[in-house]
Amino acid sequence: MEYKDEIREFVHNLLVRNGDAESLADQESLLRSGRLQSIDAVEIVIFLEEKFGIDFTKIGFDQEQIDSVDAIVALIQSASSKAY
Amino acid sequence: MNATVSITKPSLHQRVFDVLSKFRLIPRIETYPSVVSFAQTPLGRIILLALFSRGLRVFLPNWRSTLIIVLFIALMTFLPEHRRLVLALGSFALLVKEEHWNPLLLCLDMAVIALGVLLYWSAMRWPKSHFGQRPIAFLLTGLTVLILSASAAAPQSFSYSILWPLVGAAVSYVWFIAYVLTDRNSRPAKDLTLELTALRPLWGSTNTPFPKGAAYLRRIEAQNPEQLAVVQLKGLKLLAWAILLAVFQGLWLNFFHGKLRIPTADQALAMSVQGSPVVWHLRWESLILGFFESILTMSILGHRIIAGCRMAGFNALRNTYRPLSSRTIAEFFNRFYYYFKELLVDFFFYPVFLRYWKGHRRLRMVCATFAAAFFGNAFYHFTRDWQIIRDKGLWITSANFESYLLYCFILALGLSISQLRKRAPRPGSIIRGTLFPVLGVCLFFCLLSIFDSTVKDYPFVEHMRFFASLFFIRF
Repeated sequence: MEYKDEIREFVHNLLVRNGDAESLADQESLLRSGRLQSIDAVEIVIFLEEKFGIDFTKIGFDQEQIDSVDAIVALIQSASSKAY
Repeated sequence: MNATVSITKPSLHQRVFDVLSKFRLIPRIETYPSVVSFAQTPLGRIILLALFSRGLRVFLPNWRSTLIIVLFIALMTFLPEHRRLVLALGSFALLVKEEHWNPLLLCLDMAVIALGVLLYWSAMRWPKSHFGQRPIAFLLTGLTVLILSASAAAPQSFSYSILWPLVGAAVSYVWFIAYVLTDRNSRPAKDLTLELTALRPLWGSTNTPFPKGAAYLRRIEAQNPEQLAVVQLKGLKLLAWAILLAVFQGLWLNFFHGKLRIPTADQALAMSVQGSPVVWHLRWESLILGFFESILTMSILGHRIIAGCRMAGFNALRNTYRPLSSRTIAEFFNRFYYYFKELLVDFFFYPVFLRYWKGHRRLRMVCATFAAAFFGNAFYHFTRDWQIIRDKGLWITSANFESYLLYCFILALGLSISQLRKRAPRPGSIIRGTLFPVLGVCLFFCLLSIFDSTVKDYPFVEHMRFFASLFFIRF
């Protein structure tokens, strides 16, 4: 799962930009916990669209889908399995 | 082996800042293991509930209303496996208690709830239909049509006497139903009881759902006795905060408006409209005080509601969280009235952002921001004040709404620029990196508040005149 590191790094950069240098576990909540805001969620959406070709208009959007590194990985896997 | 470790000593500013930022007026009792253990025992729970009811009584008109809410929270505390059912029953019981004196109103509220359930069921049943694809757009269009129909009804007619109360019921439930419809995408969204619990829950709300819908409640629900104890302690702390802020607000109002006789922001504007404006420095003082008072009012309201939500076992985020530490306009908007911002994001920002202008990142962001902060914000407030439309008529209300439209436009513009700039914190530069941006954000919202008038009492030009007079411009 090489893209997990990529996602981790992307999320970590978002947190650092917001002045949050604390560690983050893969299953830890990002939005529900308040560590990231809606505007950061938008950046994750753009990242997933551009990097993994995910089209949220087709699969539907719910912030829970991107609420943790693990959730994002699951979303990518689910979207790619539907594509093939 | 030579190892060189360089230790940078924090500056005096930094150390003072660190000490201040770690200071807690109310200690973090939810982190004390002995307190958390005790809060899980029956006696601990009873004491927590007793303290909560005493605190809640400060904000409610009588003990009866307080004890009804606390009774249902107690049931949720001791029967956590039935929490959602108790919450649904409690919210329903409060609705009946509040409106039993007016059977028509109660029936209309029931009809609106039933309509919401029907829409939810239809969206789940036919997800590929036009309605199933865009249920929120249908819902908001339906509300608009209802308001237009009521406006067209002749006063004193039968349809007038039915349609306007129906508009009132629809407006008070529309955003709750919107969250129910959004929850159809969440997993699992099968149980209707879960959805009903989110319709005006017993801890209270404005027309904005606190905290969002049933799917969100499911995610933040305490899963075991320890989590429940922690979240209830946090709820109690938040209620204590609300009481402290309410006391502070009382002293503030008494000192500035009572002793120093500085007019409130509304009074200063009214005097300007009447042609006898207060002196220049008083206009500024009333405006600045009004800005802080709006933060205090919002904090007290949000803290009280979220405290009740947490006592019921849902670990919701605060509605207002340190807005005066915001370094950007977007950050302030997020921190000031979190659940209203979430409403705009969920129902206006994302639908536009995910559908349109995908190849143009900046344009896409700006369009979605305008859809939320301009269109969504204006729509929410225009429909919220339905009594003004009923009393003054649709056209006069629309004409007097231009001040708030300008407010929404400038806000959307400010948010767009703020989001595109994405300013990162500047380490080690407290004055340039923190103080100046914070003051700039406060000044922006302070001046913008002149146009934040949905009361629709004064024409737009009066707001502009007041604004210009702050800078010695008269017209």
